[in-house]
Amino acid sequence: MTATALDDPVLEELRQILGGDHVLTSRTSRFNRTRVPAPFPVHRWSEYLPDVAVLPTSAEQIAEVVKLANRLRIPIVARAGGTGLADGAVPLRGGIVVDVKLMNRILDIDLVDRTVTVQPGINMLKLNEELKKHGVFYPDDPASYPCSLVGGRIGTSGWSLIGGRYGHTRDLVISMQLVLPTGDIIEVGDGGGRKIRKSSTGFQLKHLFMGHQGTLGICTEATLELVPRAEAEFAAFFGYPDFETAYRSTGALTKSGLATLAGVVLFDEQKVDYLRRDDEAYIPQPPELRSVIATAMYGTLDEVKPAARRLMRIARETGGDYLGDEVSQGDWASRHDRYATPLHGRLRDGTVVPMCWHCEDAAIVYSALPDVRREWHAIAERYIEGYGIFDDWGMFFYTNGPYKPWGDYLVEIDIGIWEQRLDDETWAAWVECKREIAEVSLRYGGSITACHGATRAGDVELVPLEMGGGFEVMKQIKRALDPNNIMNPGKYLLDQAYEDG
Amino acid sequence: MPDREQLQAEFVEEWRDNGYGCFSSGHKFCREVCPVMQVTRNENHTPTAFHANIVALEQGGLSIEDLAEDYIHCTMCGACELRCPNTLFTGDFYRHRTRTVDVVKAVRALLVQAGIEQPNWKRWVEATVDRKSEPVLDVPIEQERVAEWAAGLDLPVGGETILFCDCEAAFYRTSVPRATAMVLTAAGVEFGLMREQWCCGGPAAEMGYVDQARSFAEHNVADWRTVGARRIITLDPHDYITFTEDYPAYFGDDYDFEIVHITELVAELIADGRLALTVPVERTATYHDPCRLNKRKGIYESPRAILRAIPGLTFRDVDRVTQWSYCSGAGGGFAIERPDIAAEISRRRMARAAELDVDILISGCVWSERPLTARGEERDPAIEVRDLMELVAEAAGIDLGGVKG
Repeated sequence: MTATALDDPVLEELRQILGGDHVLTSRTSRFNRTRVPAPFPVHRWSEYLPDVAVLPTSAEQIAEVVKLANRLRIPIVARAGGTGLADGAVPLRGGIVVDVKLMNRILDIDLVDRTVTVQPGINMLKLNEELKKHGVFYPDDPASYPCSLVGGRIGTSGWSLIGGRYGHTRDLVISMQLVLPTGDIIEVGDGGGRKIRKSSTGFQLKHLFMGHQGTLGICTEATLELVPRAEAEFAAFFGYPDFETAYRSTGALTKSGLATLAGVVLFDEQKVDYLRRDDEAYIPQPPELRSVIATAMYGTLDEVKPAARRLMRIARETGGDYLGDEVSQGDWASRHDRYATPLHGRLRDGTVVPMCWHCEDAAIVYSALPDVRREWHAIAERYIEGYGIFDDWGMFFYTNGPYKPWGDYLVEIDIGIWEQRLDDETWAAWVECKREIAEVSLRYGGSITACHGATRAGDVELVPLEMGGGFEVMKQIKRALDPNNIMNPGKYLLDQAYEDG
Repeated sequence: MPDREQLQAEFVEEWRDNGYGCFSSGHKFCREVCPVMQVTRNENHTPTAFHANIVALEQGGLSIEDLAEDYIHCTMCGACELRCPNTLFTGDFYRHRTRTVDVVKAVRALLVQAGIEQPNWKRWVEATVDRKSEPVLDVPIEQERVAEWAAGLDLPVGGETILFCDCEAAFYRTSVPRATAMVLTAAGVEFGLMREQWCCGGPAAEMGYVDQARSFAEHNVADWRTVGARRIITLDPHDYITFTEDYPAYFGDDYDFEIVHITELVAELIADGRLALTVPVERTATYHDPCRLNKRKGIYESPRAILRAIPGLTFRDVDRVTQWSYCSGAGGGFAIERPDIAAEISRRRMARAAELDVDILISGCVWSERPLTARGEERDPAIEVRDLMELVAEAAGIDLGGVKG
């Protein structure tokens, strides 16, 4: 069994490894390394506290901490930005939080072989500020672009808004160094070679160490893709009279074959209603506008200019009205800032209350989008009626494939939750609501999550169902790599790996 | 000593909803623009934590004494409030603004009230109360010398317009007030000095010493009234904040003074042709946006207009939004309690300037100029730091008369 209360000799050993300033035991240090922006049972905050937080500065220090934890069976939870929308960075059994924010150096910029090697605590916006001087950029562009960190992007296997052109986190990380649960430091890529994008040597281990939510190791260095800074960016937003028309237009746009098309985002009717509450870009739109598509293209001027003309034509021919340069450029430029703020929350009677944003995401094929949408809103409606602390903020459908914008979609329903009113009953209701939503995703051949991870209650119970026989393989791998179950224990039902032996 | 539980309950009642606005959002976009966080990378020092702790207080997970160490770590620059999506995207509609600076001030005041003090702040405020001006380091502070910087300028006392001279400017970088006064005189602006200027009280308020801050304010306002002042010119952004935010809160509707910041006035004097800048300043310069002007008061145009009016100057500007994440480290009492981190903040600011290949950095905040000068001298080649008013005086052909600066 794993111990949770740390005694003085353990803390002293941590101080020997890290230096006293980098071992934090104060209550605020622990409270502020507990939650992530995902809905959280605030009334049970103290049940999720780590015993200590450490701020390492090197892979070697992390390896020593992990060896200590493995020797003494202390839970260890990796934390980068703490901006994830699953619970990867939330400790379930106390222990040591390894907070990698101090490891934010750029180690190598290779403009010849087009890679940048960084520590896991660096933020993408900050990285790109440096890369800009060299005419290149790292195109991992989540909604949390100004605050999430490379390590967390790897731990959750993130998704990028412009992934249709440039790929997603797993496509943009070429190789990485990591500390295994036993404290060994290894390097993994597609095969070997820190800067090799495609290899056939051995197992494809890079993928194994992405999206594991801190259950298999801690990334300590990553070698990332560099792409030329786009000469041209073209963003266009279109309005439609209803969801169905916009949905068909989305299909036409994504299958257009335009290689510079980086992403298409479909806003459904509930989402537009939500934006009309208080968003200056949407309040003045005519009432017949009920659904929206956002598109963005990146590339050289020679590519983007003619492609933009064709994109505009396709949108027009499939029922779209261009919303103008101001909305298009302004909304795209502010895409990271505007996705949700708590003051948008409304009760049924219109009262404004501060609501936490829950974004339930799934990966769903194009053909199933209308049915999934209908069922998800119906579920949300029942819980809004039943409990009075929830609010439906509408749905987005984002292109999900790497390097290609067709096929499957990251589908999200945004639900506001009045956290101040959470208690055991409403929290349980919320978990049940999530489970119902996830069940719909699986019923339509989708995946519970496209980018957040499925570690939370409500999702995690369904992971064996989604993974099938693959879940048995997950358990075998977990037990082989982490014999003492110290890496983020309790996540992904992986305790089951240890039950029969 | 007031009961801590009672104090905590009252504090939570006042601040919980603002705290929840941040807690429920959880974006943390503020984190990478925070000058302290950029150095310490410690989640405890984030604006997000400053708000979340209030929710934890409400939950009973934390108590007042848990807060003392963390809330030192803020320069009150205001970057986090600007970068907050709640401010950016609901400010207009809901009149909402994330109030991190106010939260930090309120927590520091709460701590002092509860008898939990920081040693250097305590000494600083005690010395300020004792001497009536801040104990700016390395120079003797005696109240009778508060206007010594103006020696030989024959400035009157009193009148409708008063020039308020900051403590650091009055006792340490005396070239700044001297340049300011001489520039105003050259442009024909009539103004006088106070009979007896005391510290504005802003620093004491920022360190949590509410009563002391208020007593400085009462003295200064009484002095203004006695000499018939209607308009106060500030030459330091910290004073500008104190006079436009703290004093109105203390005195309500009775407080009817017009507060004008020097850059706004000088830009106007140049535009109106009342101040001629004719002496070329052959330097390559960048401008440091003082946090309290740019981030907290939205004053970023007038300093740039002034710089562009200086002949001979090659001005390599960095836009005001990029500068949200810059800071000298000198604000909010931070450098008094955590000088090493503050020095690293100013070191990084000067590294940014060095990337532009400039030989001089112009600031508009006298408090920033001492730490930035120290970090500029460390560099090879060194980067000189000067105040905007010193540069204006030079371009106007004014000889300051060999004072320190």
